[in-house]
Amino acid sequence: MNELLESLTRCVERGKVNSKSPYPPDLKGQDGADEFARKAIDAGIPPQEILSNGLIIGMQRVGERFRNKEIFVPDVLMAAKAMAAAMGHLKPFFQSDILKHKGTIVIGTVLGDLHDIGKKLVSMVIEGAGWEVVDLGTDVSPEKFLKAVDEHPGCVVGLSALLTTTMVNMESTVKHVKAKHPNVKVIIGGAPVTEEFALKIGADGYSSDPQGAVEFLNSRCTPN
Amino acid sequence: MPESSSLDVVMFSPSAEALGVDRDLVVADLGYRNGEAPDMVWELVDDLLPQLPAHVEIRCGFRILPSGSIDVGDDSFTANGMQFSTGPIIASQLKRSTSLALFVSTVGLQMERWSAQLMAEGDMMKGFLVDALASEVVERASVWLEQRVVDHIAPRGWKITNRYSPGYCDWAVSEQQKLFSLLPHQFCGITLTASSLMVPIKSLSGIIGLGPDVKRGAFQCSICDLKDCYRRRDDPGPAKEKA
Repeated sequence: MNELLESLTRCVERGKVNSKSPYPPDLKGQDGADEFARKAIDAGIPPQEILSNGLIIGMQRVGERFRNKEIFVPDVLMAAKAMAAAMGHLKPFFQSDILKHKGTIVIGTVLGDLHDIGKKLVSMVIEGAGWEVVDLGTDVSPEKFLKAVDEHPGCVVGLSALLTTTMVNMESTVKHVKAKHPNVKVIIGGAPVTEEFALKIGADGYSSDPQGAVEFLNSRCTPN
Repeated sequence: MPESSSLDVVMFSPSAEALGVDRDLVVADLGYRNGEAPDMVWELVDDLLPQLPAHVEIRCGFRILPSGSIDVGDDSFTANGMQFSTGPIIASQLKRSTSLALFVSTVGLQMERWSAQLMAEGDMMKGFLVDALASEVVERASVWLEQRVVDHIAPRGWKITNRYSPGYCDWAVSEQQKLFSLLPHQFCGITLTASSLMVPIKSLSGIIGLGPDVKRGAFQCSICDLKDCYRRRDDPGPAKEKA
């Protein structure tokens, strides 16, 4: 692999944002994801290669290590920050259609539930895997989900809930969306949710961790 | 001293300092064991901890039900004529109770606003750590409140069981509605949504069994064999629930 891309991968994995960032201490004063992304573009490496063979690999390792409890939420947040710094350089390529997302996921915490952080974390890891995320926020009604699906043809839907009393609202959301868009895939997650529950309510997937959601998207969902 | 006291309803507003919020526990609850968190996490927690007093509005309180007003069955208990379906695990722990303390504690709305503001400004890390601190504060407030319950009932020769909350060990979260119906309206500033979510979110509620023959049990998760419980903790330390 190209040395610049390897450095980019390592910076995302370690959460090294830029040269000014003091974290992690052993990389203090060294270039971060920000600088390496710029250098990679300047070196003529195709943007798709920078994304796929640099950034996404880094974030994938982060997702796997988080799943294995080798690292924890703060580490994922730093990795996402490094990823975002690098993505800033790729933004123009997305705008000019040189780069394309793998697909779009419309994500939100279901009606009656105000918990936000878990969903945000999942969104960051999914974004880091090359997907566009449309975050509808919390306490999202089935109607609002449906409207977002109408506006993003071919998207996947991600539902989050943290309470047993609100996870029941996942079912009405799944039904509401699938009644109009039967082919739209729905993945659900959240502390009280199980695979059995996902099957019962007609969701297409369930994941207990962000990387599982990425794997579902990459393997089961047709890109736009 | 309690802020108010009447008919066995007592409310407090302890300071953050009085609760003894433990930075080690905050970091351990993030998943790091043996203090092996990145320096950055320690530094940020140490930076945020002194700012807590400016953002918390801690309120907690309890109501002691009259002696003999509860009836504990195999998988439920009845209090003030209202049946609570706790499941057999909690019911067995309450078995010898002659009364109950119904309790709540909250850190107030300011903490979640602070966390949300930090995140909206793009500082996800600090926003997340403020959220984690809020969880620890409300847990500490509940521990602090337990001791107030102990002090309150000591003259009666009573002891306490562990704390149990709707959502624990097969006790449905929806029973929050019944629990709150036995407490003063908006007790400690907490309201319930239709989905039984407490607002402020960083709040805890529950019951404590009381009586001359009850005792505090071991680590709570050790009494429960509930499969797929998201509250189960891996370590054998004292039970702590996420707000």
